[in-house]
Amino acid sequence: MRPTSNPTDRPTDDTTPLISRRATRLYRGVLGKAVPTATGRVRRLLPHIAVPQLRFLAFLAVLGPGIITASADNDAGGITTYSIAGAQFGYGLLWILLLTTFSLGITQEMGARMGIVTGKGLAALIREKFGIRWTGFAMLALLIANFGSTAADIAGIGAALEIFGVSKYISVPVALMALFLLVFKGNFRWVERIFLFSAALYIAYIVSGIQAHPDWGAAFKNTVVPSFQLRRDYIIAFIATIGTTITPWGQFFIQAYCVDKQLRKEDLNLERGDVYFGTFVTNFIAFFIVVATAATLYVHGQSINDASDAAQALAPLAGGFAAFLFAIGLFNAALLGSATLPLSTAYAASEAFGTELGLDRRFKQAPFFYSIYTAALIIAALFVLLPGIPLIGVLFISQMVNGILLPIILVFVLLIINDKAVMGRYTNGFVFNAVTWITVVALIFVSLLLIPVTIIQQINGG
Amino acid sequence: MLYLSQLINAPIRDRDGERIATVRDLIARIGEGYPPVTGLVARQGRREFFIPTGAIASIATEGVTLSSAQLNIARFERRDGEILLSRDVLDRQIIDVNGKRVVRVNDLQIAPVEGSYRLIGADVGARALLARFFGRKRERTPLGDLVDWADIEYLAANAPNVRLKVSHERLAKLHPAEIANIIEDLSYHEGSEIVSALDDETAADTLEELDDERQADILEQMDSARAADILDEMAPDDAADILSDLPQEKQDELLALMEPEESEDVRELLEYNEDTAGGMMTTDYVAVPSGLTADEALAILRGMEELPDFVYYLYVVEHDTSAPPDAPHRTDDDIPEYLRGVVTMRQLVLASPAMLVGELMEREIVTALPTDPADDAARQLVEYGLYALPVVSEEGVIRGIITADDAFDRLLPDSWRKRLRVFS
Repeated sequence: MRPTSNPTDRPTDDTTPLISRRATRLYRGVLGKAVPTATGRVRRLLPHIAVPQLRFLAFLAVLGPGIITASADNDAGGITTYSIAGAQFGYGLLWILLLTTFSLGITQEMGARMGIVTGKGLAALIREKFGIRWTGFAMLALLIANFGSTAADIAGIGAALEIFGVSKYISVPVALMALFLLVFKGNFRWVERIFLFSAALYIAYIVSGIQAHPDWGAAFKNTVVPSFQLRRDYIIAFIATIGTTITPWGQFFIQAYCVDKQLRKEDLNLERGDVYFGTFVTNFIAFFIVVATAATLYVHGQSINDASDAAQALAPLAGGFAAFLFAIGLFNAALLGSATLPLSTAYAASEAFGTELGLDRRFKQAPFFYSIYTAALIIAALFVLLPGIPLIGVLFISQMVNGILLPIILVFVLLIINDKAVMGRYTNGFVFNAVTWITVVALIFVSLLLIPVTIIQQINGG
Repeated sequence: MLYLSQLINAPIRDRDGERIATVRDLIARIGEGYPPVTGLVARQGRREFFIPTGAIASIATEGVTLSSAQLNIARFERRDGEILLSRDVLDRQIIDVNGKRVVRVNDLQIAPVEGSYRLIGADVGARALLARFFGRKRERTPLGDLVDWADIEYLAANAPNVRLKVSHERLAKLHPAEIANIIEDLSYHEGSEIVSALDDETAADTLEELDDERQADILEQMDSARAADILDEMAPDDAADILSDLPQEKQDELLALMEPEESEDVRELLEYNEDTAGGMMTTDYVAVPSGLTADEALAILRGMEELPDFVYYLYVVEHDTSAPPDAPHRTDDDIPEYLRGVVTMRQLVLASPAMLVGELMEREIVTALPTDPADDAARQLVEYGLYALPVVSEEGVIRGIITADDAFDRLLPDSWRKRLRVFS
C-alpha cells in the first residue's frame, strides 16, 4: 500500500505485487531462520522471544550450528554403527573415533570456510570450477550416498517402532506421509523441538556408559593405541565408523548452512569455534555409545540383530525401560534425518544443475527441486519396505557406502579450497591439507582392501 | 551459429591446414553491446599461448583456421576489461534482466557480427546442459532457453582478478522487489556489487525489500559515506530497522554521516523496542493544522519539496502552545502535536475548497500507544481495515504512524511466507 514516491520514473507493471517483497521472506536452508546465527546478532534475538521454551532454544542455538551438525551426525545410522562397532569389537574401534574427530573438525571447518569466503554452496563451486561432467560425477556419488543415508533414517523409523511391535509396513508409509506434509505445508518449528529430545538420548548414553562400569583402562588404551584386524567384518566396521562421522551430505550441509546464514569473514573465527565444539560433542557422544554397548553386549558376546538388541546398551541406566528409551531416541533421530537428508539432496542437485530451488518456491516454480525431494524419499522408502530387507543391515551398510564415496567429495573439496582464484588468501595450510589427504588415502586404501580380504576369507571358508 | 561448447578443444589449423594446437578458451572484451572476441587461448602439448583475432581467418564448428602460416607465440596474460568465456562465463550465474531472474550459463552463442566474432547470447536451458554432458558437438538447432546478451547482466564478481567496468543500468530499471529477488538468489559478494552499482534511491528501495541480515551485511560492506546517502533515501522506520542490526560503532558512524533531519528521525525510532508499536512506526507522515481549508491544504501539499511516502491519510493536529496555524509540515520534534482527527486524501480532494479541515476530519480514531505490543497494533490495523494507524503517546501527542505493509509483515505467519499451497 505504499505508492512509489516518483511515479513517473518507474515503469508501472500490472503484475507488481501489492504486498511488498518484505512480506514474503525467504525461508531457505534446511533449518530455516528458526535457528539464529552464532554471532553478536543473537544477543538482539534473545529479548524478542517471549515464549520461555523458545528462549531456551535460542540459548541452545547460541552454541551454534556445531550443535546441530553434532546432533545430525549422531542420526539413526550413527547410533546403529557405533552400537555395532561396540558390540562386535568392544573398544577396538575407539582409536578410529579419535582420529576421525580431527578429520571431521578439519573437513567441517573447510566447508564452513568455503561457504563464508565464497558465499556459494559446494555444488555451485564444483560446477563453476570443474564444469558439468565432473559435477555430474560428484552428484552421482552424493545421490548414491544420500540414498543410503535416507534409507537408513527411514529404516531407523521402522526399527524403532518395531520395538513397540509396529510393522515397518505401517510405520514407514505413515512417516512418509508426515514428511510430505512437512515440506508441502512447510512448518519446520517441530524440527527444532526434536533436537531437544535427541539431546536426552545422548545424555542417556553417557550416563549408561558410566553406570555399566566399563574397563576404563582398556577403553582409553584402545583410544590411543591403534589396532587392526584383517577381517572383512572389521574393515566394514572401520569404513562405516568413519563414514557415519564424516558424511558426504555433511560436507554439503555445513557449507550450505554458512551460506544461508550469510556468515561473513568476520564470523569465521566464531564459526570455527562452533564447528570444533560440535565435532567434539559429536564424537564425545559416539565414544559413549561405543563404550556403553561394549560394556553391555560385547562382554556377553551378544551381537546386534535388531533394534531391541542395541537398546540393551541402555540397560545399566534404564533397566527394563532401556528398549523404550532407545526406541524414542532412535525414532527422533531417524525422523529428523528423514526430514533433512532428502532436502539436502534436493538442494545440492538443484544448485548443481542451475534450477530454481528452495522451500519458498511453489512446486510449479521449482519442479526439479521438489521432484528430487519426492523421489529421494519414495525410492528410499520403497527400498526399506522390500520384504526381507534387514533394517539394521541397511542402517549399517549405508554408512559404509558413505565412507567409500566420501573420498570423491573430499578430493573435490581439496582442489577447490586450494585454488587461490576461489579462496583468495583463505586457502588451506599445510596441516589441513595433510590431514585431509591422509583421510582420503586411508579410506581409499581400506576400501580397496575389502576386496582381497573378502576373497581370501571366502576361500578359507571364513 | 556457433556454440562455445563446440569450440572448446576444437583444433586450430594454420593456413595450410595443419593442426597446430587446440582451443582452450576464448577471450572477449566486456563492456558496451555484444562482447567481441579478442583472441583465443590455445594449447599445444603442455604450453598455453595467446592467438589474437587478427591472426584468425575463420572460426567454425570444425575448428579454427589461422590466416598465416607463422605464429607469434605470446604467453597469455590477462588484460583489464577482458574475460575468458569458458572460465569466467560458462557455468556461472548471470542475471537475465528481461526474465527478472538469475540463471546459470549452460552454453554460449557466438556469431560473426559486422566483421568480428561476438558473444551474442547464453543458453540457460536444460537441453544445453544435457548436450554438454554427453558431448555432442554437432550443429545444434537453437531449441534451448536462449537469452540475448543484450538482456544479460554479467557479474564482475565472476572474474575477481580482473578489473572490469560493468554497469548495472539495465538492472536499475526493474522494480526494487524484483531486484531484491535477484539479489537473494546470488551470493552476498554479487549482491553487494549490484546494490553498489545502483543509484541511491533505487538502492534504498531495493534494500528495503531484502531481509534484515542481508540488508545489514550489504550496508556494512559499503563505503560509509555511500551507505549514509542510501540511508537518507530510506523511510526512517526502514533505516532504523537496518541500523538496529548493525554493531553500535557502525550505527553511530552512519548516523553521524546522514543528513541531520533524517538521522534525527531515525534516532528517535531507534529508541523503541522492535516488538512495540513504536518500533514499527515511521515518523514520515503529513500533519495538518485544523484551521486550514481544504484548498489551502492541497496547495501547500503540492508545493512541498518532498512528500512522505504515505499521504493517503492526513493527520489533523493542534499545538498546545498558542502558535499560529502553520502550513502542513513534516514532524517537528520540538513542538508536541496533539492528534485531533484524520482526513483522507479522498475527502480532501472531493470537499468544497473552503471547507475547514477541522470540519472534514474524523474525530473517532483508532490509535496505538508507542509501548503497545507490535502484534496488537498490527492486528488493529487489519481489523479496522486501515491503511495506516497513528501511534500517539498517552497525552495524545502523535509520534508516528504504522503503515499497512509493516503490519502484514508482522502478521503473516512464517509458513505462509514459505508458500502454503504447493500444487497451485
